[in-house]
Amino acid sequence: MNNLTKDIKKEVAQKVSKKINLKAALSLATGALFGTSVTTGAVGQTIEADEWQFDTAFLLYSEVDRVTAGEAIVAGTKTFSNDEVLNLKFTFDTLTGPSANGAIAQPKAQTFTRASGIGRYRTPEGETPLDDTFHDTRVQLNGQWTQPVSDNVTGSVGGHLSKEYDYLSLGLNGNLAYDFNRKNSTFSMGISYFSDTFTPEGGIPKPLSSMLVGDSNSPEWDDEFAKTRISASENKSTSDLLIGFTQVINRRMITAFNYSYSMVDGYLTDPFKVVSVLNAEGLAQDYIYENRPDSRVKQSTFMQAKYHFDDSLLNMVADVSYRYMWDDWGINSHTIDSRFIIPVGRASYIEPHIRFYQQSAADFFTPFVIEDQLPVDFVSADYRIGEMSAVTIGAKYGVALNGGNELSFRLEYYHQRPTNGGFEEPEALNGLDTTPVIDAIIAQVSYSF
Amino acid sequence: MMKKNRTVNLTKKKDGYGINFNAMASPCEVLIQTPDKCLAELVGQYVSHEVWRIEDKYSRYDTQSVCSQINTSSGRNIAIDEETFLLLNFADQCYQLSDGLFDISSGVLRKVWTFDGVSSEYQHFPNQDDINKVLELVGWHKVIFDKQSISLPSQMQLDFGGIGKEYAVDRSILLAKQHTKRPVLVNLGGDLAVTGPRDNEQPWQVAIEPPDCSGVEHKQDMIVAIKQGALATSGDARRYLINAGIRYGHVLNAKTGWPILHAPRSITTVAPQCIQAGILATLGLLQGQQAEAFLTEQEITYWARR
Repeated sequence: MNNLTKDIKKEVAQKVSKKINLKAALSLATGALFGTSVTTGAVGQTIEADEWQFDTAFLLYSEVDRVTAGEAIVAGTKTFSNDEVLNLKFTFDTLTGPSANGAIAQPKAQTFTRASGIGRYRTPEGETPLDDTFHDTRVQLNGQWTQPVSDNVTGSVGGHLSKEYDYLSLGLNGNLAYDFNRKNSTFSMGISYFSDTFTPEGGIPKPLSSMLVGDSNSPEWDDEFAKTRISASENKSTSDLLIGFTQVINRRMITAFNYSYSMVDGYLTDPFKVVSVLNAEGLAQDYIYENRPDSRVKQSTFMQAKYHFDDSLLNMVADVSYRYMWDDWGINSHTIDSRFIIPVGRASYIEPHIRFYQQSAADFFTPFVIEDQLPVDFVSADYRIGEMSAVTIGAKYGVALNGGNELSFRLEYYHQRPTNGGFEEPEALNGLDTTPVIDAIIAQVSYSF
Repeated sequence: MMKKNRTVNLTKKKDGYGINFNAMASPCEVLIQTPDKCLAELVGQYVSHEVWRIEDKYSRYDTQSVCSQINTSSGRNIAIDEETFLLLNFADQCYQLSDGLFDISSGVLRKVWTFDGVSSEYQHFPNQDDINKVLELVGWHKVIFDKQSISLPSQMQLDFGGIGKEYAVDRSILLAKQHTKRPVLVNLGGDLAVTGPRDNEQPWQVAIEPPDCSGVEHKQDMIVAIKQGALATSGDARRYLINAGIRYGHVLNAKTGWPILHAPRSITTVAPQCIQAGILATLGLLQGQQAEAFLTEQEITYWARR
């Protein structure tokens, strides 16, 4: 046999073997055919079971001129003989880089105190004030146990732990799914509860108090700074209820509908965010710490359809979903998310992704406060609860490797554009970019084995 | 249609009974290791009736069969029962696993390909246009089915031939196990399975007939010892054609409409169930030149004849 034939043979064998463990897949198919769980092993036949399946991923999110986040994920899934599934996931992320502090750009340079109360930073004229001291490292652990409860009911319970330098989040969840109509329909219901504790360096600022700006080395500084603080830590709790319905329409189409109700209570303010207080001309006179209500009720509805086209349309799987979210802060949002999984050859696929997001502002959102509007009650200039729209465009490429392993790459571009939302800007802000866009790149490599 | 000869013959063997009958155009045999003649007769009845039931239900030659009903539905949505759904679902899995190479709608390709084993040059060797025309009627992905119904596009045809006999073997084994704990072997024209080892953990000795190679060389029967599970053979050395000096075996690539070149003449594999063994053997043949590499790579026990 010449080398070329050898190479071709090797390539074909690899191409074939990457696909799937054929014997195991056929055993499953045969089990379904005869309504038996898979058989007494025969002559040299073994069925792959009780093996851990691992997914690993590394993700990089980088905003132009702002934060960069890196995330590493290792998830393991083990299926036991009675269809019990244990899923464990470990996530590690780091966040570095400057982040908007809430204040608005000015025709003059501005000086702010760092969130910790130690040191100052200066924002040049015309630029959006960014606090460059952010550096966070987070470790997350999630565990989920899923098992059949009866013929048509599957139950699941899980726990969550997330720890950052200044943040601790603990959570529990439970979920029941009921299959009916010959497993073509599934009704599910889940509840979860999270308890979060926030312990920022420098303590929790007193809402609406003025940011103290001065020399943090002066002897009076510590006492003065302490007057702007209310406590060392604050808590919040989140209770969620999720109701879902999944319906198989035919073998090419599946649809899902979800409704969720979420109650958040406690400290919902961002301790790192301030609001600029401007005079009538628009020049900053003061920066006050933001203040948000201590409860929020969020509701959302979600619908999704997946359709598997035949080869007249590339054998593509289209996955399109729409989410409408609304809350009692006056925010509502629309999300349309579409993915198209297109097989390329026998071993790989490409998955274009496009997502549109649009949200209205919270009632108490304002990009700035004019002096004569004081005093204010709830106020925040955090662009994340302001009016905005965003689009994500990207693609993923996945390739199946030997022995059923999969390697995939994802590259996406995210563009977020805050919109003014009808706030009339005083003269001094003319010509300044008060609604800065955010552009970010998301890159991810995943490997499953 | 010729009236089917449906009789069962019972013969006494050294340590049990053999029951012979004809079904699915093949000689069929049930072996049961028992001195109890009544039990042997009973098991023979159950198995033969089950095999005939499946033949009647899924034969494409029988105009009354479910298969024919589907094939003559002219694109209408027609109701199916659970067994049919499960078989279609299995065929679907095989289609997916083979990336479309195994396709139960590919039978119409026989309109252009006739394999009668003539060793002289073939008179009506098809051209690409003929094949393209028929190929339009092939494509499992165009078939829509669910638990209640199926719609097969007009003029397309399903053929359960690739899985029906093996399915009947597995059904027979399940039935035999329900009625007796004695060791039973069911052999439907070479595709066979056993309920378990013979007494004292002894294996069944099974002879696999070599493909008939036009009498040029005589190969010995291959003897395989089997204690449990099943064995199936795919390939038929008598069905081929020769054109321009190239030998075309009867296994067709459902995607191109052409015979698979350089495939072994037959492949025998073992698996827990006969239907699995049959599919593995067929998928092996569909790899052509790479058949052995493919089966080895998948860690499948097989015997290939070239």
